Amino acid sequence: MSTEIQPYQVEFDEYLRDESRSVGHADSISFPKNEDELIEIVRKLSKTEIPVTVQGARTGLAAAAVPYGGHLINIGRMTRILGARYDEQDNRFFLTAEPGVLLSQLRKAVSSGEFEIAEPDDLTQAALCRYKAGEWFFSPDPTEASAALAGMVACNASGARSFCYGPVRPYVEALRLVLVDGRTLHIRRGEQKAKGRDFCLNLDDGSYIIGKLPDYAMPKVKNASGYYIEEDMDLIDLFIGGEGTLGIITQIELRLLPMPKAVWGITTFFPDEKSALRFVRGLRGEKEATGVEFSVKPAAIEFFNHKALDLLRIQKQKIAAFAHIQELKATYYNAVYTEFHADSEEKVWEMVEQMNQMLEALGVSPEDTWVANNPRDMEKLLVFRHAVPESVNMLIDQRRQKDPAITKLGTDMAVPDQYLDKIMDMYNGEIQTNGLDYVAFGHIGDNHLHVNILPRDMEDYRKGKALYLQWANAVSAMGGTVSAEHGVGKLKAPFLAVMMTDAGIEQMRALKAVFDPQGHLNPGNMFTMKKEGDA
Amino acid sequence: MKIIVCVKQVPATNEVKMDPVTNTIIREGVESILNPFDTYAIEEAIRIKEKQGAQITALSMGIPSVVTLLQEAVSLGVDDAILLSDRAFAGADTMATAYTLQLGVESIGDYDLILCGKMATDGDTAQVGPMLAEVLGIPQITDVGEILEIGTDFILCRRMTDDGYETVKSKLPAVITVTKEINIPRLPSIAGMKRGKAAKVPVMTSKDFQLEAERIGLSGSPTQVVRTFIPSHDIASEVLTGSPTEQAEALIEKLREQKLLNW
Repeated sequence: MSTEIQPYQVEFDEYLRDESRSVGHADSISFPKNEDELIEIVRKLSKTEIPVTVQGARTGLAAAAVPYGGHLINIGRMTRILGARYDEQDNRFFLTAEPGVLLSQLRKAVSSGEFEIAEPDDLTQAALCRYKAGEWFFSPDPTEASAALAGMVACNASGARSFCYGPVRPYVEALRLVLVDGRTLHIRRGEQKAKGRDFCLNLDDGSYIIGKLPDYAMPKVKNASGYYIEEDMDLIDLFIGGEGTLGIITQIELRLLPMPKAVWGITTFFPDEKSALRFVRGLRGEKEATGVEFSVKPAAIEFFNHKALDLLRIQKQKIAAFAHIQELKATYYNAVYTEFHADSEEKVWEMVEQMNQMLEALGVSPEDTWVANNPRDMEKLLVFRHAVPESVNMLIDQRRQKDPAITKLGTDMAVPDQYLDKIMDMYNGEIQTNGLDYVAFGHIGDNHLHVNILPRDMEDYRKGKALYLQWANAVSAMGGTVSAEHGVGKLKAPFLAVMMTDAGIEQMRALKAVFDPQGHLNPGNMFTMKKEGDA
Repeated sequence: MKIIVCVKQVPATNEVKMDPVTNTIIREGVESILNPFDTYAIEEAIRIKEKQGAQITALSMGIPSVVTLLQEAVSLGVDDAILLSDRAFAGADTMATAYTLQLGVESIGDYDLILCGKMATDGDTAQVGPMLAEVLGIPQITDVGEILEIGTDFILCRRMTDDGYETVKSKLPAVITVTKEINIPRLPSIAGMKRGKAAKVPVMTSKDFQLEAERIGLSGSPTQVVRTFIPSHDIASEVLTGSPTEQAEALIEKLREQKLLNW
């Protein structure tokens, strides 16, 4: 019985952790197989005082899926693609999926056109007749392809290509949700909006929720920290990036994009950090950085600092999976990965030539580049990019054997464009001052780097944690965000408190209370309902 | 040192579709790529060039569009390329191909080393490299996983066999066919791609050679392909679902059904 609330047993231990490597605890667990079962479980629980944590594929890095007591709902068995829709007028294609569908599963279905929809309705059948494999793609591309869609929606996930296409948010067209009291809600983009900061949300049973939105202003950067709030906002956006604190996602309608005909990736190696940063600014169209006009919007701009390349050089010798990565010359100090999308190979080549002018202006040799212009070679560059975080995890696992209390300290902060050089100086300088080991990589186009502090012992770990909090303050002062894509979860709640200030957190609490007065749904994510100092 | 690398265009998929009438490969609608094994041969040639200096020529027999693939070879570091393309060459089996390549190799002349991939991923015969050595009357070392040393008139290689490795020394010129163990092929650079795009690839036809017409193309091919098929692997897998206890019970039941468990 999938609606059964099973008492927690040791065999469920794997469900107590996620990729952050935090371990929680639970009193009971359930594995609903469809929306009806999920709703039934929530309704049963709504009559109790039991808090509920909902989890997808547990690939999160902020412990949002880790339960701290109460009941645990695992949606890992809700993995069907349910329907499709084609909007002929605007040439848009939509897919409806259950929340536990994995990104890898979605990608496979989208690229092959094999959706395995059990009972297609008329709209779906008509849409599938128009569908051609290879003509559409789902743009959000977080590194972890085994992420569940609901998890991606709940934390407004991103990826390398978000530089051009944005995060998950604009690709969520509709959601079905169950609230903590068992009422359900079907919300479609464009249909329910706030008036100024006031909102009235109509639920499926004819009842409604009236509330007031917080009046804080969100940072003007790529962001996955705190509720998305804007005047007159579309109310669907409250739930995207809401980290499951307002409602449980039971169905998602996603929008696909037409697949660009030409996709090229280029990794360029630089002899120093200054020239790499000037190149990044040049790619963003800041002419003063290189003296060259660059009018193209790349799909992705990613960075791998010198410590990341050094780590990769070492792991390449040790790990068979990385042995096939092309040789990294000793003169390669760091790397910038750029991806270009266009509707013909010729157009991409024009972009590459423009980019090359910038490299020449910076004195960087066009020989020090790796160009991938077909899916097989793109895969090679992907392996290279993913090898960096994987190498970090392997190194940390090795260090944990000596001291299990050590974890990686990975940042996810972003700042406005004008602070790129300043933030890099801050990271490099303070790491050096503290004598810490680290690598830095990630979405530098959005000034969004993952600085991974790699503690060698508990002393390093303590220093790293203190530094992290210090950076949260500095980044907030620059108008940045403490989490640009991973979400806040439980681990980054102290940093969100720094960024939002007490007033902001209090307003978020008030918003949550409108949906979940007892604070039973995904407690501990982003903030706790009890104020500090409360009994 | 002068190196010739023989390369071939193959379909990007290994599920090759055959024309049921002519029993030749249907190339329409399938993306064409450089034979993956040949990319290792190109890389090895470039490494030799980087280490001790060399002039590298890529050689291919194929349809006119193979020029693009040869430009790709130039973008990786090959110096120049020649395409042998003529309707009269079409439909060649491995023997006719080796003969046609011989004509190309001899027109380049004065070579020290010929590098080939161990086989092409469409035909999987691994015959052309050895046959080329044979028609040229020079030694061959197949399935080379490492070139240990190249002297002025010799080459020392480690080749893979079914039982392990063999170290073989040969005089030069020679034909070497390489496996995927030999190196990690590089991606082209922007500078390389510029060179590739600018490269002029001469196309030679049957008229450019004094040849034995009965040894080229379909009519010069003693091999007759009677039938081709893709080996099917009928391995069915079943995923057991439910709680760990349910899964374990279901597994025990399955094993009992198969008489793999007798309790």
